[in-house]
Amino acid sequence: MKNKTTLPWVFLTPAMVVLAVLALVPTVCAIVISFEDRELSRPDGNFVGFDNYLALFSDRRFVNAITVSLSWEVITVGFTMLIAVGLGILLFECVSPRTRNILAVLFIVPVILPRVSAAFVWKFAFHPLYGIATYPYKAITGQPLDLLSNPLTALGTVALVDVWQWGLFFSVIVLKLLETLPPQPFEAARLDHARAWEVYAYVALPMLKAPLISLAFVKMIESLRAFDLIYVMTRGGPGISTETLDMYAFSQGFIESGRISYASGMAVLMMIATSIAFTVIWKRAKI
Amino acid sequence: MSNIVCANVDKNYGAINVIKDFNLEVADREFIVFLGPSGCGKSTLLRMVAGLEEISGGDVMIGGTRVNDLEPRDRGVAMVFQNYALYPHMTIYDNIAFGLKRMKVPKVEIDQRIRAVSATLGLDAYLERKPTELSGGQQQRVAIARAMIKTPKVFLFDEPLSNLDAKLRNHMRIEIARLHQKLQTTTIYVTHDQLEAMTLADRIVLMKGGAIEQVGTPAEIYERPRTLFVAGFIGTPNMNFLDVTAHSDGESWRLEGDGFRFRASRQVFDLRDGQDLTLGVRPSALVSCPDVVGTENLLSGAIDLVEFHGDDALVTFHAAGREIGALVPAATAPTPGTQVAFSVNSESLHVFDRTGLSMRRQSRGDCIQGTVC
Repeated sequence: MKNKTTLPWVFLTPAMVVLAVLALVPTVCAIVISFEDRELSRPDGNFVGFDNYLALFSDRRFVNAITVSLSWEVITVGFTMLIAVGLGILLFECVSPRTRNILAVLFIVPVILPRVSAAFVWKFAFHPLYGIATYPYKAITGQPLDLLSNPLTALGTVALVDVWQWGLFFSVIVLKLLETLPPQPFEAARLDHARAWEVYAYVALPMLKAPLISLAFVKMIESLRAFDLIYVMTRGGPGISTETLDMYAFSQGFIESGRISYASGMAVLMMIATSIAFTVIWKRAKI
Repeated sequence: MSNIVCANVDKNYGAINVIKDFNLEVADREFIVFLGPSGCGKSTLLRMVAGLEEISGGDVMIGGTRVNDLEPRDRGVAMVFQNYALYPHMTIYDNIAFGLKRMKVPKVEIDQRIRAVSATLGLDAYLERKPTELSGGQQQRVAIARAMIKTPKVFLFDEPLSNLDAKLRNHMRIEIARLHQKLQTTTIYVTHDQLEAMTLADRIVLMKGGAIEQVGTPAEIYERPRTLFVAGFIGTPNMNFLDVTAHSDGESWRLEGDGFRFRASRQVFDLRDGQDLTLGVRPSALVSCPDVVGTENLLSGAIDLVEFHGDDALVTFHAAGREIGALVPAATAPTPGTQVAFSVNSESLHVFDRTGLSMRRQSRGDCIQGTVC
């Protein structure tokens, strides 16, 4: 009997130790450091209370980073879900099962590509002089088109790459979800005077509500971790127009000034904010 | 209210032909049942009328209009599915209202009509519930309500009672019959259950392998089966079949088998001398006769098995190398091992040639496929 109760712990302990070292220690350290005035250039630090946090709220660049992060979330999650649902329905409605499977494999390729590789590929594609994506514009107007250097288009262009990676992949998931639904309610709806779009809007998509919400949720969490994509494509530029919170924290902590405590403060705020936001959204979505 | 005409209807899946040259006229207000074993194409045919399957050849007309190229919603049909096919995320009220909402019927009118329909079907108490909170019978009633409320020209039922338990099935069958009595909407009802077909139908269309075997009223199909297949399919317990040879014998035919002899009327059967035939006798037509007089119209053997059916018992014995079933009153059922003899009235004989066609005079020629008899 005793063996039975201790055995789970034997297996759990190593995993918990690894998790504690990799996740808990840095988190606790970040919280501790955020109450100090440590910098990378000096080995010591003093306790300064909430000074870092107070400074953050009067930092306009930090406020900008919040705006950029929120826009990034809305744009990438919104368009990914739109593309996923739209393309998924299109595949389901118009493409034969055989072709569907071939397209499904093709659509999964972008998301298999490592983020950094995808970022480099698209960075070249958007190159104002040699990029294939900007070539038609150059050929027609004779002017180079530099989308990544324009503060108005930079964020959208980077988001395009993110949506390209995840929207296509999610469309395959939506297609497979549609295939699992029983066909009879659709047939009943067609007999019930519903047009094709009404069948999807009123029957198919509501039947898939729970998995679609889960997909959106996965994408929200995934979008928070877009650091590598933005880092390779724009490094937060031009100016600070694509500087998300993690980008700004990174540049404060490691690139520009080495203000590691200030960056930690930002990280801790982000952690709290996302924990609260996601808990609220998850609870809401479940009801 | 409309009639339905199927003219030379074909259905192919690639090279496979599942419905061959199907012809049928369903009169206005008629209750037609498509009956047949699994895979005989009855559901496919129903779905073609509904517009859920494409029609490969021929025409389907509803109320005089050719509907081959019309969308399901434009055909004026309503369908009840085997697995109910309710919209799982909607309340019962919204399920019933769905079609009317799509037709842009004013809200007040929708509400009135739902109240009326739900009162008819006893669904008042469940309108705010979700389909999963209802029993199978209640769900099927919702499906019927959803079909009814659109006041369609044609009702289509695709094995609506197959998912219900026996008791509920009986109850719902009566409800459907009552509903048809009240609404008088032209109905096509698909089933593989002969009891449902016999009790509900004005006419039964018995199908096999994508073609019609016989069209007729339940009584016609039971009493004068046109083919061996129909004779074997309809009636429980199954009809007994025996191999015989016809011999001309004065005023009548002598049907000789292995150790038995039957006499059949020349007026009733159109046979040839020396023709090999299959004789059919329903278990209920076998009458126990304790005193064996003569050898004609008689089957005898030792009882092998006795199955209790309630009022009756089905006794099985071997005669002429075949297993023969006979229905006897349960109270007087013999015990296994007893020697028994059963006589058969000449009128209750069915005779089929080797291609399976009935040799009865009046049944040949009438009830040609699809036409109204």
